[in-house]
Amino acid sequence: MIAWVVRRVAASVAIIWAVVTLTFFVIHAARGSPFLPEQSQSVSPETLDRLRRQFGLDRSLPEQYVLYLRNLARGELGESFVLRRPVADALADAMPHTFFLALAALLIDFTAGLALGIYQAVRERSVGDVVLGNVALFVNSMPTFWLGLVLLLGFAQWLHWFPTGGPSDPVLCPRVDSLPCLLDFFWHLTLPALTLGLVGAAGTARFQRAAMLEVIRQEYVRTARAKGLREGRVLLVHALRNALLPFITLVGLAFPFLLTGAVLVETVYSWPGMGLLAVRAILQRDYYVVTGAALVTSAMVVLGSLIADLLYAVADPRIRVRGA
Amino acid sequence: MVIAATGEPDILLPPVSEFATTRDVTEPIFLKLADLGLSGNTVGDEDFQPQLAQRWEWDAPTTLVFHLDPRAHWQDGQAVTAADVAFTYDVYTDTVVNSPFRSSLRHIAAVTTRDSLTVVFRFRQRYPEMFYDAVYHMRIMPAHLLRELPRDQWRSTPFGRAPVGDGPYRFVAWKAGQSIELAADSTFFLGRPHIRRLIFRFTPDQQVAVIQLLAGDADVIEVLITPDNVERACADAKLACYPYKGSAYGYVGFNLAAPGDSTKPHPLFGDRDLRRALVLATDRERPLHNVFGDLARVPPGPMSQLWWVWDPEIRELPYDSAQAARLLTRLGWIDSDGDGIRDKDGRELSFRLLVPTTSAIRRQYARLLQEEFRTAGVDVQLDEVDFTLFNERARAGRFDALLTTWNTDPTPSSGFPQIWTKAGFGRSNYGRYFNPQVDQLVDRAVTSAMNRDQARRAWRSAFEILNQDAPGIFLFATENVAAVNKRFTDVTIRPDSWMALVRTWRVPPDRLTDRDRVER
Repeated sequence: MIAWVVRRVAASVAIIWAVVTLTFFVIHAARGSPFLPEQSQSVSPETLDRLRRQFGLDRSLPEQYVLYLRNLARGELGESFVLRRPVADALADAMPHTFFLALAALLIDFTAGLALGIYQAVRERSVGDVVLGNVALFVNSMPTFWLGLVLLLGFAQWLHWFPTGGPSDPVLCPRVDSLPCLLDFFWHLTLPALTLGLVGAAGTARFQRAAMLEVIRQEYVRTARAKGLREGRVLLVHALRNALLPFITLVGLAFPFLLTGAVLVETVYSWPGMGLLAVRAILQRDYYVVTGAALVTSAMVVLGSLIADLLYAVADPRIRVRGA
Repeated sequence: MVIAATGEPDILLPPVSEFATTRDVTEPIFLKLADLGLSGNTVGDEDFQPQLAQRWEWDAPTTLVFHLDPRAHWQDGQAVTAADVAFTYDVYTDTVVNSPFRSSLRHIAAVTTRDSLTVVFRFRQRYPEMFYDAVYHMRIMPAHLLRELPRDQWRSTPFGRAPVGDGPYRFVAWKAGQSIELAADSTFFLGRPHIRRLIFRFTPDQQVAVIQLLAGDADVIEVLITPDNVERACADAKLACYPYKGSAYGYVGFNLAAPGDSTKPHPLFGDRDLRRALVLATDRERPLHNVFGDLARVPPGPMSQLWWVWDPEIRELPYDSAQAARLLTRLGWIDSDGDGIRDKDGRELSFRLLVPTTSAIRRQYARLLQEEFRTAGVDVQLDEVDFTLFNERARAGRFDALLTTWNTDPTPSSGFPQIWTKAGFGRSNYGRYFNPQVDQLVDRAVTSAMNRDQARRAWRSAFEILNQDAPGIFLFATENVAAVNKRFTDVTIRPDSWMALVRTWRVPPDRLTDRDRVER
């Protein structure tokens, strides 16, 4: 098991290095200057030259790459051209927001998806199954950005049930340092997490329904019923555990989806996370922020995948034995 | 008061930032010596309002003496002194700091102190906007806190993320990507401002900012931009709308030089008559109405509505499609193969228009113009690129024509020469337009006119000559509409800087909500 974990960690590091390298060269290859943001109209050619020198952009690309890796090894991610602060600070500000958003969305995704999938499988071909199946298909095919705007207009602008954006009320809760402000944070988190989570839940439900249907037709489930066990116990203990294996695979797959979806959701809800930071940085050619964001995001995805693999091993003894 | 802002400052240090949001946030933190009055008159000193300077006098035609208000102090308790002013001038003009405002101070020879509360400005020559140059561009910085900071570190100093100012509001907190909070300084020497907290709430999208306003999550928005937004916000019972003159103008700029080779003329736009024909062929009112409704005007040249030289009587080329067609035919551009596009010597009358994808307005305009030109027998292909690439190509002269906008100062003196005279070559004069007569007139208006009328006449002549040369098609000059929650009263917006008078805004006691009462 330890050897397996070591192999996986080594592979993860290699994947992250590849992503960072690719991002570094692609963003540098993109046309456009990092020192000409939209708001800045009168940067002189002399200033541009000076800034290029100051940030080392006058060196050859391989030189810049080696320098970047050397700094990275020392834990330095460079300085943002636009934000005028260390990239690590900007990422440290943004990361918790994306983390909480992804976590909440994941919770909604899997809780709702699992419950719906089981319900539909148990009530196969009933009116409820058909209606829920179509609703899930409809939600699953909605663009995240559009669903976000619909929820924002409906629940924030018209009904006033939820705030229109941001992670907290800037007037009453500038810091999350009390219970009311913690609740305020969750209140602000609800719509963005629902937007991300519902789209995912619709997909998860369809997946889970199929998995459950396959399992509840198995001999051992019939045997459990024949033994006189209650239906709830048959479904949740005997069927669900086996139907969970493909579901755990989804955990690993959901992470990249959540992070890419977060880019759009963060824009709609002014959620100051990694997605928003990365998009702005790409548009402004803020090289080190883009590369730093790619580094952190790939690390999160790789970690998600690793956790999924570990869970898989826990859930399926056969895999654990083989892995060991 | 929560302000829905669509941009976030880069740094809260006025000498090294020209972001509009930086200006908005630092406006209530750092004072100037004096500020522009509501009239917007930048000539002479009679319309300026004292800020840090209690009074001033002219010792000689080129020597201006300011007497600082002895009550003025920094928010850490230190007094504001003449040394702060001299230090500030030194920073703004330092080549290492390289402030975007450095060139605006080029006519000032020196700033010296006479005593701790008296500061002397010496100018290189006498000209109409001497006073404006002395006070408008510089926000005074605390020398005691910044003197030791190496000049090459000004662009990223921690002070810029937690500044100490001398204005009516003090900095409280900056939550990156979320908000900046300022609180009223109860010890402000000109009187405590009425609104206790200003919170700039950042959102990446204009539509979302409007939704925040309509939902009551924000109290103010600087500009609603589109007619749809104006209609929605102004129809909302809790909001009041405040129209004011906009500082932007937009145009199609022709590249007079060959793309990428400024030594050769552009194969199409090097021809003045062809440019004139294209201007004559353009109905500027129609796209303006489509895009802006009543929120913009067709400018009589490259100017914003903010400028005091704005004059609808300035002569320009009219919309005359028949004359345009005759002129194009005379130049040899005829549709010889019947495909609807004029051609000459086997080459179609076709060019590429560079447009930034980040501007929905300019993209909309580009499509409408494309259609207009098509009916005149001119083929326009759109090059839609993101803003950094747009900016890079514009600066390098790698375009046929571009659709661009400029946000201007309250006077043409600083921006116009950078865009429409030889001084702007390699900088903001992307199309390399040059007419020695225009340069001469601009120079006269800026540096040697003795009064406002003389300057106005020189400006008018410059605009009229430029209009006849047709270096661009001047499409729109914006009109802004701000929306403010109705519980705020005494709202006055100065068009060149909408937050400039926020100190005088108030909420009457009977309209105060619990949120307004929260102290920091």
